[in-house]
This record gives sequence, C-alpha cells and structure tokens, in this order.
Amino acid sequence: MTDIKNNLNEPVIETTNLVKVYKEGSIKAVDDLTLKIDKGEIYALIGANGSGKTTTINMLTGSLFPTSGQIKVLGQQIPKKRRIVATSIGVAPQEYALYSDLTVEQNIGFFAKLYNLQRGFLLKRLDELLPILRLDERRKTAVSNLSGGMKRRVSIACALVHQPRIVFFDEATVGIDPVLRAFFWDYFRSLAKAGLTIVLTSHVMDEAERANRIGLMRAGKLIEEGTPKEIKQRYSASSIEQVFLKLSQGAAADE
Amino acid sequence: MSKTRNFSLSRVLAVSWRVLTQISRDRRTLALIIFIPAFIMLIFGFVLGGQVKNLPILVDNQDAGYLIKATGLNLTNVNVGNQILAKLEEDNRVKVNQGDYSLGKTGVDNGSYYAAIAFPVNFSKELTSRNSGQTSNASVTIYIDGTNPTVQATILTAFQSSLQNTFGNGVVLNEQIAFGGKEFSSLDVSIPAVISLVLTQTVLLVSLIVIVRETTSGVLSRLYTMPLSGIERLLGYSIALLVIGMGMTSVVLFIGLGIFGAIIQGSLALLFLGAILYALLNIFLAVFLSNFAKNELQAVQMVPLITLASMALSGLLIPVESFPDWVQTIAKFVPMYYANKLFEGIMLKGYGIGSVAYQFIILGGAALLFFVLSVMTVRDRMSD
Repeated sequence: MTDIKNNLNEPVIETTNLVKVYKEGSIKAVDDLTLKIDKGEIYALIGANGSGKTTTINMLTGSLFPTSGQIKVLGQQIPKKRRIVATSIGVAPQEYALYSDLTVEQNIGFFAKLYNLQRGFLLKRLDELLPILRLDERRKTAVSNLSGGMKRRVSIACALVHQPRIVFFDEATVGIDPVLRAFFWDYFRSLAKAGLTIVLTSHVMDEAERANRIGLMRAGKLIEEGTPKEIKQRYSASSIEQVFLKLSQGAAADE
Repeated sequence: MSKTRNFSLSRVLAVSWRVLTQISRDRRTLALIIFIPAFIMLIFGFVLGGQVKNLPILVDNQDAGYLIKATGLNLTNVNVGNQILAKLEEDNRVKVNQGDYSLGKTGVDNGSYYAAIAFPVNFSKELTSRNSGQTSNASVTIYIDGTNPTVQATILTAFQSSLQNTFGNGVVLNEQIAFGGKEFSSLDVSIPAVISLVLTQTVLLVSLIVIVRETTSGVLSRLYTMPLSGIERLLGYSIALLVIGMGMTSVVLFIGLGIFGAIIQGSLALLFLGAILYALLNIFLAVFLSNFAKNELQAVQMVPLITLASMALSGLLIPVESFPDWVQTIAKFVPMYYANKLFEGIMLKGYGIGSVAYQFIILGGAALLFFVLSVMTVRDRMSD
C-alpha cells in the first residue's frame, strides 16, 4: 500500500522524552512524553482540556515540530521524514476541517487526490466507506447542509480514504449522540481488527474505557498508562473517571 | 496506490480544481469576481466619459460701451462686455447668471457659484484705446473657486474661448498632435491607469480572500498532515487564481474597450497579455501577503493600503515627473507605475512588443520576485 516498511516487531509509534514549549508562553504543553503504540491497537490519550493531547497528536502527525525529544512513526523519524509517513497516516482533526461549499463526495475526492489515488480506487473506496459511515445518500450534499455528526463522519471518511496504517482521531466522538458514538466504536474495533492502528484523544473518561490501552495526560505529562482494567485495579476504582479524579485530588494536595 | 513524490503536478491541479469548484459554489465570492471589477469600471467609465458642463457662474457686466466712428460720420456704440457675455451664455460648460459682482463673490464663498466675473464700466473704452495704439488699462476681474483644478481650468478655458470668439481669429493656434493625431477624450487618456487600478484592487482582494479563507476554515491543520507541500499548495492557488484573474481581466477590458469604446491604437492581444501578466503579479503578491494574514479581515485591510499607495505613486493622479526626486525614486519600485506605462503605450501610442518589452520584463520580474518570496515564507506546518 505504501513505500514504508518497518519491522513488524517495532512499535508503529514511539516517542522518547518528547517536549513541546510554544513560543508564546514558557509552559511545557507536552513534558517528557515517552510512549509506545503497537500495530492494531486502539490507544486513547485522555485528559482534561489543555492537558497536551492535541499537541501530542500534532507532533506525531508531523504538523507541529517538537522542542526536543524523538518521534518515530512506522520506523521513520518525525518530523524529518513526515512527507514519507504522510501517505500512511490519516488524521481527523478536532475541527471538522472540511470545505463547507463542496459536497461530501468532492471533499473526500479532493483529499484522495492529494494522496495521488487513482480514480478507480477512489470510487471503490467511496462505495465502501460511505455506506459504512451512513453517508451514502448524502454523497451530493454540500457539507454546509450536514449536521455536526454527519460532518464528523465525513471527516473520518477523509482520514480513511487512502487506507492508512495509522489513523489519528482528535476528539472524534465529542458532541455526538450515544447511538452514533456506539457505532463509531464498533467501527473503530473492526478497523483495528483489520490491522489499523488507531490513536484517539478524548476528554470523556468513560469513553476511553473502550480502548485497548489508555494514556492519561495532565499538564503535558503522561501520568498513567495501561489497559483500562489494569489502571482501574491499580487505583481500586470502578471507572477511569474515578481514577482521574483520584489523580487530580492527589495533584491538588501536592500543590 | 499512494506514492510519495517530492513534487506532484496532480496534487497542484487538485488544489486548483478544489479552489475553482469551491468558488463556483460560493455565490458571494463569485459575485465579487464578476461584479466588483464590472462595477468599478462602469463607475470610472461614466465619470471619466462625461464632460464638465453647466458650472454656475455670475457675470457682472458694468461696461457702458463706447461710441466709435463706423463708416462715414455715423457713430456706433460698441459694448464688448455684452459681446463676451453673449458668447459665454452660448457655451454649455458654464451656466451664466447676471448680477452684482459682490453677490457673485459671496456665492463663490458659500458654494452656489464657481466664479464671479466683472467687466468694468470703461472696459470697451479701454480696449478701443488699445486698438488705436494708446496705452490701455482694460482688465476683467475674476473671482474663482480654487478648490477644484478641473473646474477652475474649465471656467478659464470657457472664458478664454469667449474672448477669442469675440475678437475673431487674431491668433491662430498651430496644433501638432503626436501619436496619430487622434483626439483623445478624458476617458481614453484615463482608462489605461483605471485598468491597472481595477486589476490591482480586485485581483488582490479576491486572491487574498480565497487563500486566507483556507486558514480560517481549519482545513490547513489537515493539509499539514498530508503529502501536499507548501509550494504545491501555492502553485495550486496560483493556477486557480490565474484562471479567475483572466476572467476578471476580460471583464475589465470588455467594459473599458467594448462598452466605453476607449481607444486602442496597438494590439488588443498584447494588451490582454500585459493585463494578464499584471493580474498574475497581483496574484503572487496576494499569495505572499496571505502568509502574514491570520484571517480575512486582516487580509482585506492590506488591500486599500497597497491600492491607494500604488495609485498615488504610479502617476494616476498627477504625473510622476512632478514628484520630488526622492518620491520619484520610490515610484520606480511600484509595479502599477510600469503597468500604467505599458497600458498607455499599447492603448494610446500604439506601441508594439519591442517598445513595451522593458515594462513586460519589469512586471514579469516583479511577479517572479513575489512568487519566490511566497515560497520562502509559506508555512507547511503549524506555527510554534
């Protein structure tokens, strides 16, 4: 599918002591982040707003350069080799990031052309993706006329059209109804089963319990990591939300 | 399937196609592209195509006339003031009212008249004395509004015409008109500069809006993660905007030449080529400036700054040669100055490519410079 070959035993994403300090302000948006994500995992970065989740995703996708630290995606150094890796990743940003004047089909078609997809392959992918994402009847509808949930699905279709090996969903399930959220998770699991690695961010704690592994972030730091079950056992909590509250209370006491 | 290439023409064309498709579905921008150049051209065309006329003036003719010997022993009363007044009343450039000179002066001061003219009581007598070889003090007093040079010049010209018509062909004006002896109207003379002004204003505005809208829509955050490079993106915009610029240039030239019938002594194809080159220069300038605008408001604010400065410095209002030396030096760095020279050369003087090659080279070089600056400043990642 792509011209990248990485060792099967290597993690598809690996960061070492990753730091990001924005020019405006001296606070570390991401502070000494080290993580490994394997092929086929659904990895959820969770944390409150401003905890550094989106900054991490932006650095992993190569659209934001780190202040220090190492990033390897599919065995390639990021940001140095980001143009090579770009064909193997898909991103659904926090905003819908779509052209509202264009139709659903035109939006997906445009992003597909940027991956140099052949027309025949694009049509095949449209026929696959649009029914799954329940957008088939909206092919010719301008994005400006769609609901928020539909726009989110178009954004996901744009991220998946080129059959990437890793997909990043930044707050993909925020602001959508529970039925659609359940549908999304079923779909994510089916993609992961097929070998796709999914990295998603969310500030909704209970939602993250559906991921294979969770990375809990606060003030730019990865404060806890593991499967939902492991983390809950570690803190004798019944939910990830409880764990988060315990960690927050601990942090407040330390301060 | 997906391949990684450093440069891909299909990605460039995909951006161009997307921009054009988006504009074709966006009525607001579509209207901006078609109607704004048309509207500005029509306004300029009507304003410049019209003649200055019916300027209200007041004439106070106190001339008592003078008895002169006609044939034989008959005496005839000659009133030169009346004769000039009659000629002025026939001239449609001015609308003559008669009255007291002091009322006329007050009228000029309060804006109801543009000029007050007074012929003294002994006007005819003094003129007659001069004709018979004696010393003369014949004079006419004019109190004129000096706030508008065009109005001032029109009234003085009308008055001088009436004097000449009264005294006959005592003076023969030997006119030698360069460039084919065509009698240019004010529209003909102004339209080359208006074309460059309208192209600057509209192409710059539309280009900036089209590009900066991408920044504000949030799509850039997705594009930064894709194989599309900054240069491919800029080229994509430029191709789409060139298509739009060609459309806008056609509208501008069609209205200037087709509707208002402005004179073009040179080649229409050369004029179109020059206009397209100038549009392209403004597109590249917009691409460069877009790197510094965070939203449409900031982008739009840049347009009058550039347009007004270019308009003043390019010689559109008064000839560049009248500027102080140091301002003339600055004017030589303004692309609109060369565009004006180019369009004037082709339209009024009938210049061919050989005579306007210098302007073509300067404008082409400036366009290239702006594109290189765009490439050097384009962002292909999020700001730190």
